[in-house]
Amino acid sequence: MVMIAAVDTTTITATNMADGAHLPLAIWLSPAFPVGAFAYSHALEWAVECGDVHDAATLSAWINDLLRLGSGRNDAVLVAASHRAADDANALAEINELALALAPSRERRLETVQQGTAFVTAMRTSWPCKALDALDNETAYSVAVGAASGAHELPLAATLEHFLLAFTANLVSAAVRLGPIGQTDGQRVTAGALPAIQETARFAASSTLDDLGSSTLRADLFSMQHETQYSRLFRS
Amino acid sequence: MGPVNAPFVTPHVPQTARARGAIRARFSALDGRSGLADLYEGGGLRLRFPRNAQTCEAVLVNTGGGIIGGDRAELAFEVDAGADAMITTQSAEKIYRAQNVPAEVALSLTAEAGARLEWLPQETILFEGAKLKRSFALDMAEDARVTLLEATTFGRLAMGEDSINGMLADTWRLRRGGKLIYADNLRLDGALGATLDRKTCGNGARGTALFLHIAPEAESLVDLARELLADAPCAWGASAWNGLLAIRLLSAQPENIRAALVPLLETLRGRPAPRVWQ
Repeated sequence: MVMIAAVDTTTITATNMADGAHLPLAIWLSPAFPVGAFAYSHALEWAVECGDVHDAATLSAWINDLLRLGSGRNDAVLVAASHRAADDANALAEINELALALAPSRERRLETVQQGTAFVTAMRTSWPCKALDALDNETAYSVAVGAASGAHELPLAATLEHFLLAFTANLVSAAVRLGPIGQTDGQRVTAGALPAIQETARFAASSTLDDLGSSTLRADLFSMQHETQYSRLFRS
Repeated sequence: MGPVNAPFVTPHVPQTARARGAIRARFSALDGRSGLADLYEGGGLRLRFPRNAQTCEAVLVNTGGGIIGGDRAELAFEVDAGADAMITTQSAEKIYRAQNVPAEVALSLTAEAGARLEWLPQETILFEGAKLKRSFALDMAEDARVTLLEATTFGRLAMGEDSINGMLADTWRLRRGGKLIYADNLRLDGALGATLDRKTCGNGARGTALFLHIAPEAESLVDLARELLADAPCAWGASAWNGLLAIRLLSAQPENIRAALVPLLETLRGRPAPRVWQ
């Protein structure tokens, strides 16, 4: 599988795996976990369609920007807030309302709600916890992951790294399927994203909701344009 | 030499030099006509009402002629049940270089049952070194109709100011029936021009705009919006969900944003664009 090498790299450098404490994160944020991540490109499909992303360098710049300046950064802040609020159903509901409202387009809302709701459903059967029972029918993916991790008392830093790595790996996988790069280049892009993943994870670990902020206006605009793309593989 | 433990004093614009402006206006309907019910004007801000307007139109005037770091403007507009009011601005708002503290503009809008509220200001122009924090808060009834516009120009392009430094932080929190339905935190900090040159951010854009329409019929307007924008001279995207229509525009030439907005303002709202926008 494309992602296993990358998961190991970041986990070994960032955390102590000896006691297996973080293994649940590797499971929940692996592409095999049934949230349907493969169906969403986060508007990358449109970026490829109009030629903005056409090789490893342009893909790498696109992903790194999302991690440092865009939705990756915001989602990390939401994961952190939800992790801290795992015991507080009211606070969690409020964070979820904000996370859903932050979606800049119809498809980006669909992307986070479908994955978040699927995550909650899968967790309820295999990893039950009170925090997830308290969540609404419509749950943002970042909030579901943060709350589950907090409820299971998994470390926030590792949660953020796994979350951002899964986000990155999913975009790389989408790019490989869309054609502008091959598997090998894809791995290079994932490896090259680790500094941005770690930097954003470190920032988000001590963030509050006041730190939400995105500069990636055009990526948001692309998620709107993707809605009318003529021929498409992805739902966003 | 002062004592070693003297507190570090951050240089700042003295309180007395900062402008505090405020407008609080309430509009209500009487005998089928909407009009001003209450008005408070503070600092250098005034609200003017064009004499021959067909509908209730208010024009915000900043007699200070611009906004500087440390200035704070509080704008609150309330439209009572069944009333209908449009607010625009007399001119583009200029944001001058800030020494350190940002300027702050807080907009608070309320639209009660069956009300129609439109906030359609002209562009905000950020000068080199401008720092601006804005908040946009809306509290609307389920069946109210609200149209919001925000357009920003980055630098005085005609003067060769084509890659400015500064800061812009916009926080949007829009509630309908008490529920948060739209939120956005825009944060551009430092080399704004260089950030806007990035493909994910602006691909060289120097003008940006966000147009939001929240109304029972909002979602059904998305196809019309796309038609109106089909030949627009700028990058655009339109999307609709949850009773909300959102349109984003980006262009290296801010005048192209204006050109794309006029047909939206004329057609989507079912009434003429405000005169300042025509």
